Amino acid sequence: MITIGCDVGSLFSKAVVMDGDDIIAKKIIATTGRIAVEVHDLLQEVMKSAGIPADRVDCLGATGNGAGLVKGAAFVEDTITCTGAAAWYFIPEVRCAIDVGGQSITSIAIDDEGTVTDFMRNDKCASGSGRFLEMMSAKLGLSLRDVDKIAAEARNVVNISSQCGVFAESEVITHVNNGEEKSDIMAGVCAAVAKMVSAQGRRFGASGHFTLLGGVAKIEAITKRVHEKLGGRFNPFPFDPQLAGAVGASLLGDPD
Amino acid sequence: MFAGIDVGSLTAEALVIHEGRIVGSEIISVLPNPVDSARVVMDALLSRKGLTWKDLKYTISTGYGREKIQHYGLAQETLSEISCHGSGAHTLDPEVRTIIDIGGQDAKVIKLDAKGGLDDFVMNNKCAAGTGHFLEAMSRALGVGLEDLGPLAMKAKKPIAMSNRCTIYVETEVIHYLQRGASRQDVAGGITMAMADRVVALARRIGPKNKIMITGGVAKNKAVKAALEKALGVKIAYPSLDPQLIGAYGAAVYAARKGGST
Repeated sequence: MITIGCDVGSLFSKAVVMDGDDIIAKKIIATTGRIAVEVHDLLQEVMKSAGIPADRVDCLGATGNGAGLVKGAAFVEDTITCTGAAAWYFIPEVRCAIDVGGQSITSIAIDDEGTVTDFMRNDKCASGSGRFLEMMSAKLGLSLRDVDKIAAEARNVVNISSQCGVFAESEVITHVNNGEEKSDIMAGVCAAVAKMVSAQGRRFGASGHFTLLGGVAKIEAITKRVHEKLGGRFNPFPFDPQLAGAVGASLLGDPD
Repeated sequence: MFAGIDVGSLTAEALVIHEGRIVGSEIISVLPNPVDSARVVMDALLSRKGLTWKDLKYTISTGYGREKIQHYGLAQETLSEISCHGSGAHTLDPEVRTIIDIGGQDAKVIKLDAKGGLDDFVMNNKCAAGTGHFLEAMSRALGVGLEDLGPLAMKAKKPIAMSNRCTIYVETEVIHYLQRGASRQDVAGGITMAMADRVVALARRIGPKNKIMITGGVAKNKAVKAALEKALGVKIAYPSLDPQLIGAYGAAVYAARKGGST
């Protein structure tokens, strides 16, 4: 069975083509202004790279903020259900998934049958979100792709004390002006994000087997620290964690 | 003569009084070091008035780095911003019971008793929403100067309500509305309402009592003042002195009381 999942997020749109449990094609693009057009092109491209013509697709599932703009979707499902489904399907022992997306941090509790039993979401404040990380790395002239590499070179990690993205940005600028190393500042930003993510995880009562999803979970400088702070057992998502929502939407289209 | 020096996050103020009357005042943008800010702002005031540091009998410093300023001998004593604002507002208008002070990086609501003593206070310095920083980010998004934001908002016909609180998200929202062809006046009106909402939420935590006075740099934005009056359902008093100078004025008043009696 061939299914496609498409996750239209606030910063990035993601699509995967799956054949059963296998991802046969995937693509991530930045979400800008013309979402409907972008998503259409994204789906065309991902099908092309999978070598799957549209008529062979059994189900197209959509999720994310902009899910309503995915034309031809068989269903629209919320991201909590999708990321929860993806986490449980590939890591059955996981009881908590923390999804750090572009504009929100969401902790999700999953029972042993894969049902989402509870969740906690912060989407009121950019603190600790992908947007926060993007702003700080932009101020350092770094793309999100370089964050891990640069943070790994840190020797004296600086302290970023503000939770507010606006104030944290001023702190980053002050550190730059004081001549601190980019790597030390970047690592400080990662530590701050990890602190915010683990604070929510702790409030939610995350313990035992957990996983981290969303674009921010790609960054080891953050996941390592979240694990240190939360304790328990960190189970990395077996695929790119930014694709979790899309993978979930794809899995939900397959009744088996 | 007695003086007050107030170093904030964005501006520094100095004010000198003599026999209860203001001799002069000065406002500058802060320098990286609060001691330098204090020295430069007072130097500017003194030289403009043909005075020297020796003419100052007693000086009180307040705001960021006030201890350092005292340590370097530029002031004899330090006092918190809260006390200085209370003293400044009470001296200007003894009927004031609540001060809404909105600065560059924080917002404070201070309640005073009938004698001008501190009754209660609440502060937001954790979140940029509801501070001058919010207005700065929004005027950037609108492509207007900070001082033009108020006049623009006053012209709003149908202010657009913002659905977010976070400065970063409201900024995105503003850009989105502008791209969809909304008028800059209406967007500015919505920004002002969002600003007032956060400040009112802060004020409600301690229950503001009349008479209310607005101070701090943001007080100069008439649209914000009007939006606060609408949200609180009362008139808000505007100080008879530049609202950015209230802290320095209060410090100078204290200095006169302290220095005059010693």
